[in-house]
Amino acid sequence: MNHTFNQIIVIARRDFMAVVATPTFLLFLLAPFFMLGISVASGFGGAYLAKSSVTKRQMVVIADPSRSAVIDASEAALRERLYGDEKGPSILKIVAPKSDVDAQQKALLADKTTDVTAVLHGPFAAPTISYQKGEARNARFLAMLAEDVLRSERIGGAPGASLSKAVLTEVVQNVPTKSRQQRTGFYAVVVVFILTLMLASQAVGMMAEEKSNKVLEILAAAVPLEAVFFGKLIGLFGVALLFVAFWGTLAAFGASFVPASLGLAAFAPTIGLVPFVILGACYFTMAFMLLGAVFLGIGAQASTMREIQMLSLPITIIQMAMFGLASAAASNPDTTIALVAEIFPFSSPFAMAARGATDPALWPHLLALAWQALWVGLTIWFAARLFRAGVLNSGGGFWAAFARRPAKNAA
Amino acid sequence: MNDDTPVRATGLIKYFGNARAVNGVSLSVPKGSIYGVLGPNGAGKTTTLRMLLGILDPDSGERTLLGHTKPREAGNRVGYLPEERGLYPAMKAREAIAFMGALRGLDWNEGRTRADAMLETAGLGHAAHNKIRKLSKGMAQLVQLLGSIVHRPELIVLDEPFSGLDPVNQENLEKLILAERARGATILFSTHVMGHAERMCDRLSIIAKGQVRFEGTVDDARSTLPMRAHYVPCSGIEAVGALLPSGAERSESGWRFTVPDGGAETLLMKLIQNGHGIAGLTMERPSLHDAFVKIVGMTAAEAAEALV
Repeated sequence: MNHTFNQIIVIARRDFMAVVATPTFLLFLLAPFFMLGISVASGFGGAYLAKSSVTKRQMVVIADPSRSAVIDASEAALRERLYGDEKGPSILKIVAPKSDVDAQQKALLADKTTDVTAVLHGPFAAPTISYQKGEARNARFLAMLAEDVLRSERIGGAPGASLSKAVLTEVVQNVPTKSRQQRTGFYAVVVVFILTLMLASQAVGMMAEEKSNKVLEILAAAVPLEAVFFGKLIGLFGVALLFVAFWGTLAAFGASFVPASLGLAAFAPTIGLVPFVILGACYFTMAFMLLGAVFLGIGAQASTMREIQMLSLPITIIQMAMFGLASAAASNPDTTIALVAEIFPFSSPFAMAARGATDPALWPHLLALAWQALWVGLTIWFAARLFRAGVLNSGGGFWAAFARRPAKNAA
Repeated sequence: MNDDTPVRATGLIKYFGNARAVNGVSLSVPKGSIYGVLGPNGAGKTTTLRMLLGILDPDSGERTLLGHTKPREAGNRVGYLPEERGLYPAMKAREAIAFMGALRGLDWNEGRTRADAMLETAGLGHAAHNKIRKLSKGMAQLVQLLGSIVHRPELIVLDEPFSGLDPVNQENLEKLILAERARGATILFSTHVMGHAERMCDRLSIIAKGQVRFEGTVDDARSTLPMRAHYVPCSGIEAVGALLPSGAERSESGWRFTVPDGGAETLLMKLIQNGHGIAGLTMERPSLHDAFVKIVGMTAAEAAEALV
């Protein structure tokens, strides 16, 4: 037993070093930086486009310039009342009327240099509002503006002044709400799933590479195949831990700059934040081992990159199904679907991570971790058996390899 | 437990699908010997070795490896060079050797130290820090062999160790194997190249179509064929023909024939008495190749094809 454990460590160490001690690992480790960089660049681009679009889109009020102050004040008050911090309709421009107002209005709507969405002209008591197709919201805004301008002029006082002044108070609940717990559970599912998907999928290529290097027979001669598979999983898990530790440290550092109102208080797991994070780490380990073992088994059957790609698609689809199942469990705790997701071995780590957010009991987690560990062992055994049957050509075909009993003194 | 017989197999049978790849192979490898498993391509040599090592399980039959009926229990006392050579291309030569030792229970650092010394002895000291992908095929193969013996195993199993090596490296490998035997290791190797077996093996098995057709020493194998004689008469060559055993063949200078049972003396006396005299006489021992062809039951053409 001790000897096999040492062999597992030897294989894990070799695989860990083979991945980590290469320049490509640095690229892999820093890949999220590139992703962030691209996101930031896209964000800036989007913001620039949005800004230029906003400045080009205009609503126009044709009115005497002497009314500009009251129109501007009424517009500001109306925007505040209707939209608050949200983005309202296009910006407003006030132009003086010309001799032919109808023609002026048509010319404004037809102007190619600006994007005039709606034009108001005529007396404010019965204004005429013309608008482009799809811009009825702007037209309605102008109609309300005309009403507010008139109201403001008739009641006197400061331009845009309102008759009533409401006080708005945000109430912060200290007791975690059910919806916040469920949201926290969903975040846990997403984090565990994305990390697993990103890090465990490397296992697919690893066994195919091993086969092309023809090292497997050397390993199989010295070490039981199950131990070879397990050693490889441990090695890859070491790489994953390094990745998570690096980004976890950076994320923790970044989180210290986030205002308390937006920070960890937003997460409200029932069992407490620290136990929840520990459980998350345990479930990430199990999810990695389970999916990694599946990937290793599949990779061991593939001989070429084309075969790996062919096999990867159904795996990804199945993974997405597991994610969907676990997400449904997170949104509907204490339902049959949640129970199914928690019991089914390949969705169990994700669904149970979500359960930590809504259920204070710890014993289901201990049971689930044992259940998942059993399935890790079974999956590794199955993958090794499949490999022995298909690749080492132990004969008799796939099912015969499972059914066959070795000779009396066979190892 | 039988310390004098590190490898023992009785009636090993292995099916691949419906085909019986190994059909009742039995063999015993004496301690400290170099034992060859000979056979044409597809005879079942590799499958037999894999079963002996526990990489494959036999469908029936028994095997004992260094006293263990479960071969893996003797894992650290065994070194194995598989037929399909494989090393991690990005590993340095000394690391590859140390890694293979570590798989067999050798401390990694001790493995590196031994690897340096072994590479130096094998004339590859300059390549110790080279990555495997930068080594020639022959060098990589030697590195792999060193990796399979770095933990100083009691039993070394080599599957077709000479294939793909140039003559110089083949000689180096032969020296290495002999040195391991001198250290006290038992060597079991498969080959279809008769020259190596003839020079090195203390005992051998000849396998064909999954069955052992012969088991014994090289001399025993040769003895399965009678001695041949090349006789050059003093008188005219043609006149002698009638006195020689049936099947005698003409050569450029005389006759070549199988020595009759009981020896050549009677025949030679008769030739002298008939006045043909002896201008030349060479007794030719059959080669292992000849014995192999006879034992396996091949035609010359089949032998040439199977032994490639």
